[in-house]
Amino acid sequence: MTEDIHRENAETLEDLRNAEHDLETALEKEHDAQREVEKAEAEVEAAIREIEHPRVFTVEVLYNGVKKKFEVRLEEAVKRLLEQAIAAFGPLPNPHTLSLYKNGVELADSQSIKEAGIKPHDLLLLRPSTVKGGA
Amino acid sequence: MSVIYQLDSRILEGTFEHFRDCGQGREECQVLWLSSWTRPEVITKVAHPKHAPHHGGFVLDEYWLNDFWMELGNTNAGIRFQVHTHPRAAFHSPTDDAFPIIHKPGFLSLVIPNFGLDPVGFGDAYLTEIQADGSWRQVEISSRLRLV
Repeated sequence: MTEDIHRENAETLEDLRNAEHDLETALEKEHDAQREVEKAEAEVEAAIREIEHPRVFTVEVLYNGVKKKFEVRLEEAVKRLLEQAIAAFGPLPNPHTLSLYKNGVELADSQSIKEAGIKPHDLLLLRPSTVKGGA
Repeated sequence: MSVIYQLDSRILEGTFEHFRDCGQGREECQVLWLSSWTRPEVITKVAHPKHAPHHGGFVLDEYWLNDFWMELGNTNAGIRFQVHTHPRAAFHSPTDDAFPIIHKPGFLSLVIPNFGLDPVGFGDAYLTEIQADGSWRQVEISSRLRLV
C-alpha cells in the first residue's frame, strides 16, 4: 500500500515536471511567435510608410500654362529639380531669374525635396521671382 | 520661322482702355496677351496684372502671379506678349530686359509710348523679342503681329 502511494507520487511528480517542461517550451514558442508578429508588424508599417512617403515619386511643374512631370528623390536638392525643369521647358536663358514655388512660397534651392515639404503628385510653379518694368 | 500672331482689334482697344484707366496718364501699366496652346497664333485674351508702382515703373503682385500661373495651367493658355506703357518714348529699358514674365526665346515685349494716351494703334510703339542667348532684339511689328 505504502509502495503504491510512493510510486503514484513519483509518477505525479514526473508528470508535473513534464508539464512544467511543456509549459516552458510553449512559452518559448509563444515568445518566438510574438517576436515574429512584431517583426511582421514593423515590416507592414515600413511598407505603409513607403507608400505614404515614398523616397522616389513624381511631381508636376507648371510653366506658362504647360505642365510636365518629373521624378524626384526625397534626398535630392530642390536645385536639381529646378535645373531639370528649366532644361525641359527650355531653352530658358537667364535661368537664375526663375524659381520653383509651392503653395505660393518660393522654394530655396539648397533645401532637399523632403525639407521643402514636396509630396507625391504636388504641382509646383516654375516662374520668375520678380516681374517688373519701367522706363 | 517666327509666328505671326493674329490680334483682334477689340483686344487692342481693350489694351489701351486698361492703360488709360489704370495709368491715368501718370503711371506705367502692363497687360499680357494670351492665346490657347491649341492655337497659339491667335491672341484671344488680354490680362491686366495686379501691379504696383516701382521706381517710376511697375512691379507685378506676387500673389496675383501665383494665381495667374495656375489659371494659365487650368485654361491651357500661354502668354505670348507682355505689353506696357512708357511715359514718353517707347523702348526697352534695362529693367524691361532683366525682368520679363516669360524668358523663352521668341517671347515678345511691346512698349507703347505716352502712357497709351495716343490713338489706339502701334504708332511709335517698340517691339522686341528674346533671342536664343537671352538678349533682346527689336523686330518689326508687322513681322510678328497682324491686326484682324
